Amino acid sequence: MNSLRTEPRALRTALCALAFALAILALFAATVIGRETTERRVATAVYPEATESASIEGAPDVDDILRSYDDLYNSTGTKASVEITIVTPKKTRNLELRFWARGEDKALMVVDAPPRDAGTATLKVDKNLWNYLPKISRTIRVPPSMMMGSWMGSDLTNDDIVRDSSYEDDYDSEVVGRTDDPPGWKLRMTARPEAVGLWNSVEMVFADDAWLPVMAQFYDRKDRLSRTMTFGEVKVMNGRRVPTLITIIPEREEGRRTEFRYLDVEFDVELSDDTFSLSRLERTH
Amino acid sequence: MNAPLIGKYAVRTLGRNVRRTFLSVVGIGIGVAIAIFMTAFMKGSTQMRVRAIAESGFGHVMVAHSDWNVSRDNDLRLTGWEDELEAVRAMPGVKVAAPHARTTALLAFGTRVSGVQMLGVDPEAEAASSRLVLAVSEGRYLQDGDSDVAVVGSTIADRLDVELEDDLLVTVVDAAGEMEYAMLRIVGIVDTGSRDMDASICHVTLADVERLTKLPGAGEISVTLDEPLKMDSMVPRLKEVVSPSDDVLTWMQVVPAQGGDYQSDKGFMNMLSGTVIVVVMLGIAGAQLTAILERRREFAVLIALGMKSSQVVRLILFEAVVLAVMGAAIGLLLAWWPVHYTATVGFDFSTILGEELSMSGVLLEPIIYSIPGAWIFTHALAIALVSTLIAAIYPAVYALRTDPTSALSLREA
Amino acid sequence: MASKSTLRIAWRNLGRNRKRSSLALTAIAVGQFAFLAIAALMHGYMGDFHESITGPMIGHAQIHAPEWRDDRSIDLTIDDVSVVLEAVRDDPAVTNVSARIYAPVLAALTEEGFMGFVVGVDPLAESHDAGLLPDFDGAALGDGRVVVGYNFAERYGIEPGAELALVGQDVDGSIASGLFTVADVVASPVDIVNNLGIVMALGDATDMLAMYDQAHELVIHTEDVETIEETVARLSGLSPLDGLEILPWRDIVPTMVGMIEMVDVFLYIVLMIVFIAAAAGIANTMLMSTFERKHEFGMLLSLGCGPGRLARMITVEAVILGLVGVLIGTVLGLGLLAVTSQTGMDYAALGGDQETYEASFQGLNLSSLVYPKLYVSDVIAGVVAVFLTSLLSVLWPIAKVVRMEPMEAMRL
Repeated sequence: MNSLRTEPRALRTALCALAFALAILALFAATVIGRETTERRVATAVYPEATESASIEGAPDVDDILRSYDDLYNSTGTKASVEITIVTPKKTRNLELRFWARGEDKALMVVDAPPRDAGTATLKVDKNLWNYLPKISRTIRVPPSMMMGSWMGSDLTNDDIVRDSSYEDDYDSEVVGRTDDPPGWKLRMTARPEAVGLWNSVEMVFADDAWLPVMAQFYDRKDRLSRTMTFGEVKVMNGRRVPTLITIIPEREEGRRTEFRYLDVEFDVELSDDTFSLSRLERTH
Repeated sequence: MNAPLIGKYAVRTLGRNVRRTFLSVVGIGIGVAIAIFMTAFMKGSTQMRVRAIAESGFGHVMVAHSDWNVSRDNDLRLTGWEDELEAVRAMPGVKVAAPHARTTALLAFGTRVSGVQMLGVDPEAEAASSRLVLAVSEGRYLQDGDSDVAVVGSTIADRLDVELEDDLLVTVVDAAGEMEYAMLRIVGIVDTGSRDMDASICHVTLADVERLTKLPGAGEISVTLDEPLKMDSMVPRLKEVVSPSDDVLTWMQVVPAQGGDYQSDKGFMNMLSGTVIVVVMLGIAGAQLTAILERRREFAVLIALGMKSSQVVRLILFEAVVLAVMGAAIGLLLAWWPVHYTATVGFDFSTILGEELSMSGVLLEPIIYSIPGAWIFTHALAIALVSTLIAAIYPAVYALRTDPTSALSLREA
Repeated sequence: MASKSTLRIAWRNLGRNRKRSSLALTAIAVGQFAFLAIAALMHGYMGDFHESITGPMIGHAQIHAPEWRDDRSIDLTIDDVSVVLEAVRDDPAVTNVSARIYAPVLAALTEEGFMGFVVGVDPLAESHDAGLLPDFDGAALGDGRVVVGYNFAERYGIEPGAELALVGQDVDGSIASGLFTVADVVASPVDIVNNLGIVMALGDATDMLAMYDQAHELVIHTEDVETIEETVARLSGLSPLDGLEILPWRDIVPTMVGMIEMVDVFLYIVLMIVFIAAAAGIANTMLMSTFERKHEFGMLLSLGCGPGRLARMITVEAVILGLVGVLIGTVLGLGLLAVTSQTGMDYAALGGDQETYEASFQGLNLSSLVYPKLYVSDVIAGVVAVFLTSLLSVLWPIAKVVRMEPMEAMRL
């Protein structure tokens, strides 16, 4: 019924491209030799738990809340610079990149930092994906079979990044209660029996303040809490108040975390087709 | 003396020296029996490998798209696979024909993913042709009519941290380059004992692969034959019933490294059989030569009595032939039971090795079945004849040149 | 017990009937020779079989970072690999140790990318017979030159001289890329190399993947298949290997263990059959020869030789024949071993199909060489068994002979 976006659409498109750039080999590696994130002890959440209050009187319309969430990052053309931090028990990795995105089908992403990766660019146009490698001055198209990989090293699943909308018909949403800290509403989206997806249910907390998203908790098909997403550092970007820090914390892997931070965003920018062309791709270094 | 008389004399000689004849015939017989058993057993041993390969899902021959052998492309599909399947199944000599379709897929549960080579099967045909089905350690294998279910290897289940009845999200890139998604419920988990193997097993029904890939039908048909040794003659017959754009490959072309090993094995086993045959023949010849040499005096008497040397030679040769025939017959008799037993019940290694074999026993039946054939009769006769005749040559030649008087002297030369 | 005169008589008997004696000797010698030859070939074959089963991919033992085998994550490396290599190489039982790096990559000749798999190897270390690139000119790799697998090249139209772009992920997670020249196309006995493999020198791999003094896997070959376990135990105690996982091949491919043991048992059965065939021949010859001397024995008995003494004489003859025959057979067997153990024996010429060895399966060359090997225990076993056989085979004739009626025996 309602579209369920777990992170902004434009960001998703760009991340799609980035995921391909960084994770082009995941499926292949997985196919040939398999991939597994090592299981660790169950980790406890590191952010304050949004506590539920008893009453759901005065609860707003679920559709309204979700629509506002949808509109949060909605844009005809987005231009942004993003910083991504991937924390693993072994090390922490920082990436800085700029991206341009239009709709679901077009995205260009260029890595600015670290220096070793600087100049690497990825272009997504419809179903095609190309990578530009500055070190060898080559553009290579990624075959479809290698596009399924999940974000290697980060905690986003391919489901989030690659899958186009199809949650609309698959989930039943309802307000389940109030939260105190921060004050807001808790929603639960429960998957319908015939739904195709990873999550049995997703619980999201929206603050009273402009219904900004605060947190999302994902429960897998065995109803185990699988991961938690938090939305923080609300700032004004290009005239909009949006959470600029999105953190993903997997539940059963200790010491792992992925953070996406918008450094700068422009919404509704006019982006020409030329922006999303191979020649532009090659010129970006 | 003329021919019939030589014959009569030979037979009477044999009859009169019972022990010598007995020793000769039994000696030949035992040797022949050993040689025959060994040869049949060796043939069976090389076939064990072929059986293992066929039963692990490859079959003896495979029908595939003509380009498949070079490109090994998962997306290739057979033309008119249903008709081909029917025609192949109807062909005499075909035991099972199992259609397959492959695709790369990503399995996901929660935050975990695992890439696999998904295999679409016909559950009934698969159960009849693949030993993998026996390795299901939890739950069950696929059945006719199943849909949206999967059987996965234990390594995959561990990686995804899932159990029986869990729902996996599967992602496949279809023929048009679009992502296709579906849920698959785990109905069975396979444990072969090999971590690598268990990481590569993901079986679903053929229909599910069709639905996900949007590629119709099967990409290959694995054919298990009634008589694997007739494989080379089956290939052209199968080619006739298969579409022109499809080809029939032997397992050696499908898994060339195994084919190479097989040829090496065969060569080595042939050499071993050959050694036994040579040892047997030398043993028989030795014994026969000893016997003939001791009869030098007898031959000298015959010559002194007027028999021509050439006739003595013929006598020796005739005896040799008679002994060979009788010996071969005894040999066949002695070999009958061991060969029959090992050909039907087989020589089971698991009794010797005990439990240690259970792991690879899933994929390999540790039994050697001897392979007898019409060749047994010719082999038996040939071995016996060649041995006795070799033994007869030297004394025969000697008899031709012998001086009766010196041979008759009591002094041994 | 046999007296000196019995010995002398026995000896003279044998000498006087040279043809008969030599026939018996031949049977015994051939028996012992066949036994030793097959035992030697058996050991050689087992060694060969073991190698082909575990393959150049596995070797005799392997060292990894503790969890690398689970998900083959590129960042689970063996660090300070040069120190580890040196420590392992110093072990006397180790004949070869080489480092390997594995990484999945996106490969492209033009703009179209396709999946590939980089295997970084030390070309010199892998060019021995059991290596990943047997008979390969190690100098051909390095400085950006790679070789690709046979099927991989066929499928994507990669030819020697082509320029291959490779993109992957380095050990830190950054993008790794490089341009390489295809030096050659190889047929490897290892499937994954054949179907997806891009083999490059270790140096090139470490450069591309930023893996300095790191590797994913060390493959160890020991001089003897039998000493693997103890070598592994010894190596795991070394300090550079602290925290690393070292496993014998059995733990890496457990399903192969049963297979190899089965072949072992099978070959022993074959050896037994060979022995039975030899024993049958010896017994046949000895029996025949002893029985044919009925006339002679009858004469001796009638001349006053006691049956006991006669029995002893026959026995001593059999003992002498047995000893001499076994000796000859052993000398011949050891001779064969000396001639063939270095160069190997080509069983294709002996029993196989000559044509098939000229052919190659999709680029794979078939080897029909086996390197015979013999243990002292084999020789002793053969000596004892064959000697006993020749001795036992005169028991029946002796039993008959001592109860013989001299007159009866002397009848022609």
